[in-house]
Amino acid sequence: MTRRMNFCGSMDHGVSRRGFLETAAVAGASAFAANMNGLDVLQTPALAEEIKRQEKHVILLWLAGGASQLETWDPKPGRPTGGPFKAIDTSVPGIRISELLPKLAQRMQHTAIIRSLNTKNADHGGGASLMETGRRNEAGLQYPDIGAMLAKELGRADSQVPDYVSMYTSSEGRRKGTAGFLGARYAPMFLDKELMPENMRRLEAISDLDHKERADLRDLLHKQFARGRDNGSLASHNGAYQRVRGLMASEKLFDIGQEPQSQRDAYGPTQFGEQVLVARRLIEAGVPFVKVARAWWDSHGQNFETHLELCTELDHVMSTLIDDLQVRGLLEKTLIITLAEFGRTPQINASLGRDHFASAWSSSLTGCGVKGGSVFGKSDEDGLRVADGEVGSAELFATIFRALGINHQKNYMVGARPVPLTDPGTKPIEAVLA
Amino acid sequence: MTIGDPTKLKVAKELGRPGILFCLARAPGSTRLFTGCSDGKVYDLDIAAEKPEAKEFVGHESYVTGLALAGGALVSGSWDGSLIWWNIETREVIRKVAAHARWVRGVTASPDGKLISSVSDDMTCKLWNAETGELVRTLEGHEKTTPHHYPSMLFVSAFSADGQRLATADKVGHVVIWDVATGNKLAAVEAPTMYTWDPRQRRHSIGGIRSLAFSPDGKLLATGGIGQIENIDHLGAAARIEVFDWQEGKRTHEFPGDNYKGLIEQLAFTPAGDTLIATGGDNNGFIKFVDLKDNKIIHQDKAPMHVYAMSVGEMWDTLYAAGHGKIVAWEFKAEAPAPAAETAAEGESKSP
Repeated sequence: MTRRMNFCGSMDHGVSRRGFLETAAVAGASAFAANMNGLDVLQTPALAEEIKRQEKHVILLWLAGGASQLETWDPKPGRPTGGPFKAIDTSVPGIRISELLPKLAQRMQHTAIIRSLNTKNADHGGGASLMETGRRNEAGLQYPDIGAMLAKELGRADSQVPDYVSMYTSSEGRRKGTAGFLGARYAPMFLDKELMPENMRRLEAISDLDHKERADLRDLLHKQFARGRDNGSLASHNGAYQRVRGLMASEKLFDIGQEPQSQRDAYGPTQFGEQVLVARRLIEAGVPFVKVARAWWDSHGQNFETHLELCTELDHVMSTLIDDLQVRGLLEKTLIITLAEFGRTPQINASLGRDHFASAWSSSLTGCGVKGGSVFGKSDEDGLRVADGEVGSAELFATIFRALGINHQKNYMVGARPVPLTDPGTKPIEAVLA
Repeated sequence: MTIGDPTKLKVAKELGRPGILFCLARAPGSTRLFTGCSDGKVYDLDIAAEKPEAKEFVGHESYVTGLALAGGALVSGSWDGSLIWWNIETREVIRKVAAHARWVRGVTASPDGKLISSVSDDMTCKLWNAETGELVRTLEGHEKTTPHHYPSMLFVSAFSADGQRLATADKVGHVVIWDVATGNKLAAVEAPTMYTWDPRQRRHSIGGIRSLAFSPDGKLLATGGIGQIENIDHLGAAARIEVFDWQEGKRTHEFPGDNYKGLIEQLAFTPAGDTLIATGGDNNGFIKFVDLKDNKIIHQDKAPMHVYAMSVGEMWDTLYAAGHGKIVAWEFKAEAPAPAAETAAEGESKSP
């Protein structure tokens, strides 16, 4: 069977513009049905709430491979497991983080740290799936990841920009993400090669006028055909085409050449810095969810050298992002999350590495809906287990939803089955919510 | 001076220790070892004792990564950025100096014991008066960032036997040779293979030159590290040695390694300058004897642990090493020469 190359150029990943249209049209019955029919109409939020929510954005900094909590948010200086780096004071008295994050330490008033994740899965694939969807896989039901859920919850139906953009350019551990039962409408625009999406531009052989007229003709034919036919698939088909010109126009959002040089310099010369700058441009233009995966933190050997490199970059880029969002008045509307599939072992192996560890690790939430300068949970003195406030992926996801003003107990209907955003009984971590 | 027989290498003593031991200094002519540990302490023990008792020196706040005996004192360097001069008998701090803005990676004493060299991730090498602790000069010749815009690291320095030259080496494989008296840069050589940058799969780097040694005549400079790594999650490439005629700027020897993987953490030339002893490791450890005349490995063996530091005995037939959770004494004594024919035939009649 010949497989068509898709949006990102990969056989396995991405949604091209053409693919997006085909998927929406052909698979409309599943994709759009989930969108239109799978609503929990009883919990449809009030319009004002909806509008408010639609102004919110998320930038997920996915520290792929598993960043060490001991070299970031939960240092243990002086302990046998602590490594060589010291803990430093932050802008919030009483909170200390690794000396590898000095700039973020000075911005701690915007950030909440969760130090008590016990997610019980220290396998890359399983851990990533768990921390992407907030729950364990279930046979027969493909859960959407957090990007798809937030694209659905925060995105606007008439949006001219993508709802969910995911960047993962390193090849190790690369995962595209999934819209699961929410359908292709919420699948990520996936960038795995360059900052600029491929196949976004109009073919040179077609003039802009011609392109517009073709769209108008198609729309006219659609309206004639759809007259008297109340069908979700038809609506999905048309809706997809209606977004094309908007998506094409969003090309400039991916072009950091549109930014002043001073702004580019501020984010720095690394690929991660450039991607996060693109993320800021995207959310400023209304994209609700952007994931920037920074791979690869899997430091089985030379953990300290690896973290010296990657934490330095994270510290600089994320601090620049916080400042940039604040200047633009976007920080209170934007939630920045640092997350990975797991953390790293407190024990240091003979290669001066740390291995996979999911029993007591950390995540951070910055900005929108967060009680800045707060810490929830505690690991024991060597970081071997959670000493207080144990939470899992479900609690973290509920907290993220609540920070964005989304009811985490809301149900999606998959056929006749209600599927809540987070598992029943899950409680958000109130201590880190504003 | 001849050395022992590397093929007779055997572990004479193995001592388990808590923590990771990054550096080693030995009191001349003795089995008294000082070793710096990941717990921030320096330990003093006699490896030859039946039950070695470790006495501790307390003063650092992070990993102790460099030790040198000089000017009658012990000098230690740490990831806390400081150097401490210790009274080795009372274990009291003589002085503590905030030496570097970033982590100290190594400390070396000049052969005459008058200078201390310290290298740090602030990418400077500093020369200190071993007696007074005064800063003599700062040597700056290494880039602070890698070509890929990440912080670089200055791992090691080594004096020449005459004390007139000093070499420093960094993460990207850049080596600078300095004139100690003036602080002038005399030459530079490159060993870029020891730095792996993965631009596609994992997008960070690993490696760097971790060990240096001048030949006794000062003409050759040996560098140790690791070769290009495919999966940089691990130290998964062969240990690597490159030797340079640094004045000519030419590489004279290359040992790309074989089945022993990991970093060459320490190198030593034998007195004749024709053999290198190399130790290091990944999750395991190794020791190698490398013949520079014939370009071959004379002997190599597994070490009981990843070795970070070693000290060779004055007779060149014993070797002390510190590493991950252990101290080891090796022997490689040559067998006593076979009796001469006359002696062997003692009692036998000889033909006139």
